[in-house]
Amino acid sequence: MSGATGLEHNVWTCLSCHFLLPAATRAPARCPRCGARVHPRIEASLMFTWALTLTGALLLIPANVLPVMTVVYLGAGEPNTIISGVMQLHQAGYWGIAIIVFVASVVVPLMKLVGLALLCLTVQWQLPIAPAQAMRIYRVVNAIGRWSLLDLFMISILVALVQMGEAAEVQAEPGSTAFATVVVVTMIASRCFDPRLLWDSYSAIAAKAAEGPA
Amino acid sequence: MERAVDSPSGATAARPWRRACYQCDLLLTRALAPEGTKLLCPRCGAALHTHFPHSILYTAIYSFTGLLLFLPAATLPLLHFSFYVFDADNTLFNGVASLFGEGYIWLATLVLFCSVLAPLGKFLLLSFICWGCGWGKLARPVASALRWYQHLYKWGMLDVYLLGILVALVKMTDLGSISVEPGLYCFSAMMLMATATAISFDPEAVWSRLASAEGQRVAGTSGEPDL
Ligand SMILES: [Zn+2]
Ligand SMILES: [Zn+2]
Repeated sequence: MSGATGLEHNVWTCLSCHFLLPAATRAPARCPRCGARVHPRIEASLMFTWALTLTGALLLIPANVLPVMTVVYLGAGEPNTIISGVMQLHQAGYWGIAIIVFVASVVVPLMKLVGLALLCLTVQWQLPIAPAQAMRIYRVVNAIGRWSLLDLFMISILVALVQMGEAAEVQAEPGSTAFATVVVVTMIASRCFDPRLLWDSYSAIAAKAAEGPA
Repeated sequence: MERAVDSPSGATAARPWRRACYQCDLLLTRALAPEGTKLLCPRCGAALHTHFPHSILYTAIYSFTGLLLFLPAATLPLLHFSFYVFDADNTLFNGVASLFGEGYIWLATLVLFCSVLAPLGKFLLLSFICWGCGWGKLARPVASALRWYQHLYKWGMLDVYLLGILVALVKMTDLGSISVEPGLYCFSAMMLMATATAISFDPEAVWSRLASAEGQRVAGTSGEPDL
């Protein structure tokens, strides 16, 4: 027994202003306080989260294989991928900054995609993962996503600062577009996921276990 | 901050359900936290309401200061790079313009949106919300402004951009001489204001202010807003 939920008591929560309103006969209802559309659970949450997560996972390949920028220095220069940019920072001795960039542009997108897939699977297959653990994953995934844009902001700053023709120049490369799309798509995916589904699936497991031995 | 935790004991006619947790749908008999405390969901730990004292006044001050800082932060150069006889400045806009010129339209739009449009929109919306919630007449526009603020909330990335500046600063030290310009101080202050509004803003305070303004309007007395 995990307490009474709004769904069981026929009340819905407006996700925009957290107002509690009586269940309508048909979703979506209109929130009387802020006017947002209210569904008992985010509509087609799993489907959208899956679609966006898979899109992000596919785009992560070009984002890491293609170069994201080229630094031309005294007439010479080669395209850099995300990883080689981190390696250069490391070789130059800036290991602190190298770790920050590595975490923001390699670890965070991977963690987000794995986390989102895990959350979807937990709901879909009713995996016996404690909701407290799953909520931790959900909150981490939600909090870290925006920091992946770090590399792209850096590119936009360098492109403006270093444009001295043959002497020194920084150019953006196609990989950056793919990487930008990965970040946007995963941010939208984590918005689409409804954490209340985790608790629904957990209480469904508990209910099944309770009636099992009888 | 102290924690005010509600126990999920059943609702009666005297104590009806007041709120359901937006992250786990647990029903609670308490909707708001007392001043200076946080209301946490007893089941999943989500912060349901943070009662910041004088939330509207502080948010109004922070967002207005943020708006004032936006002008120098967006127009003054942030970084200066010199390389033998060449030199160049970086402002919030010319990075976007260079990307746009190179044909990276989607990337330029995203950078512009996250570093300029969304933070500016958040400041404008918050200023409007804090000013407008004292007038019952403005209840509907304020309500939609609040919704837009929720949508924009995660896309304002001044803090990430500032870290990007730091990384660019380190990366360029070997290539030429790079220096910090006055715009960067304004930008950092603007980022602090954005963080301050995120901490101080409490939508529930706006809703109760709107409800009382609406009540005054219906009663026929003129509602002067007191921030
Ligand atoms: Zn609402
Ligand atoms: Zn909860």
